[in-house]
Amino acid sequence: MSIEVKNLIKKFDDKVVINDISFKVEDGEVLAIVGFSGSGKSTVLKLISGLIPYDSGEIITSEGDIAMVFQYSALFDSLNVFDNISFALRERKDLRKKYSKNDLQNIVSQKLELVGLKGIENKFPSELSGGMQKRVSFARAIVTKPNSILYDEPTAGLDPMSSTLIEDYIVRLRNELDAASIVVTHQMSTITRTADRVIMLYDGKIVFEGTPSEMLKQDNPYTKQFVTASLEGPMTMKA
Amino acid sequence: MSTLKKYLKQSATYKLYLHFESYFKDILSTTGNIVQLSIHILKCILKCEINFKELLLQCDRFGVSSLPITLSIVGMTSIIVASQVAHEMVKQGGGNFVGMLMTILIVREVGVIMSGFAITSMIGSSLASELATMRVTEQVDAIDVLGVDSVRYLFVPRVLSGIIMMPFVVILASVVGVLLGAFTSNLFANLSYRAYFDSAWLGLYMKDLWVSILKSAVFGGTIALISCTCGFFASGGAKGVGLATTKAVVWSFIAIVIWDMVFAILFFF
Repeated sequence: MSIEVKNLIKKFDDKVVINDISFKVEDGEVLAIVGFSGSGKSTVLKLISGLIPYDSGEIITSEGDIAMVFQYSALFDSLNVFDNISFALRERKDLRKKYSKNDLQNIVSQKLELVGLKGIENKFPSELSGGMQKRVSFARAIVTKPNSILYDEPTAGLDPMSSTLIEDYIVRLRNELDAASIVVTHQMSTITRTADRVIMLYDGKIVFEGTPSEMLKQDNPYTKQFVTASLEGPMTMKA
Repeated sequence: MSTLKKYLKQSATYKLYLHFESYFKDILSTTGNIVQLSIHILKCILKCEINFKELLLQCDRFGVSSLPITLSIVGMTSIIVASQVAHEMVKQGGGNFVGMLMTILIVREVGVIMSGFAITSMIGSSLASELATMRVTEQVDAIDVLGVDSVRYLFVPRVLSGIIMMPFVVILASVVGVLLGAFTSNLFANLSYRAYFDSAWLGLYMKDLWVSILKSAVFGGTIALISCTCGFFASGGAKGVGLATTKAVVWSFIAIVIWDMVFAILFFF
């Protein structure tokens, strides 16, 4: 077991955003969290990564790093690609004396090759396309060989080919690192091409849990509404 | 009863009360954040956890980039004061004390205060907007998720550069202010340079210089700390960045005046 969430509750002021949810993600497994905007998907990732505290419940992760790929890449715009990717290795207390400049260059070049962007070390994020920024943020996330990887809408805003490329990287990283991965997404292609299991959130609660093919069967009124993008169903869009 | 409650909630007094309540809550939470971050920064400095490359970059930004605007503001203030004081004093027979008055004024107050205001508007605002942008674009979150201490990485070099560079800027600005005071006195009141500089040293003591240096270091650290804190806790996109920047400038101005008062009471009362 790499990530286990037990009876998690998170409130913002008096509003319950995550309402008593529990799930597990094993090593080498990709779990997709789906749901309409505002259902609490990204909040779950922020809670697991420790960016925000939870009110009650438990999050158990196996020892090692948790990496996160952010929705808008979140690359450091004042640093070039090399400095972005090597950031954790240069700045982290436990790692900064471990690597020489040559080591850093080798590691960065190796990670860039992995995401198909060799030779762009000196470019700045503003000089890269959205898809390239996303791939650099992948490289930055995996530089510390994490045990768990969290993806916040990794294919949002990308063209179909870039999305396919990103989806392939998610599967490849899962295989290479044997990491427990959680992908928050709206996109059906990302769910079907990357996920082993899917959970669907609505109003901070899990309303479906199963495999992508079970989700597509549309037995569940919530997944049926989500897959068909219908306005009719148990879920209502909040103003 | 409920109609009365409803009426009261719509009244201007109640809205004013709500406004002041949120204002005081903001003051309390920002002050709390500043204190908490100061302790964290102090711990990092004591453990020598300093990114020296970043410190040099920030020193360049704080000290070198701010020089033109700081020297201009202090210089122009000195010209304004000298043009009004010198003529009057020479007329009243006090020409021999113009240099002394100008030097005391510039070294004790004008040089430090005006440099503080100039640096707040130029560097403080840029620090706040930089960190606020990093916050709203999730770059600060990315630093934390990568396991790097964001306060150590972002605050320590910026606050240290403020403490280190501000005294240099103030010394330079004060020298320019005194020289321009002499030039203006000569131009407007026909006061000789010799008369000006002979009296310039009369009222000035080493204590004035040391207090000025200490005060400028405190101002520099305060401007950087407040500006970074306001930016660090920004939220809400472009509007949040704007609000954080405004807050940083206003808070820094107020803090400078409060510190100046404290120094005046401690050292010259």
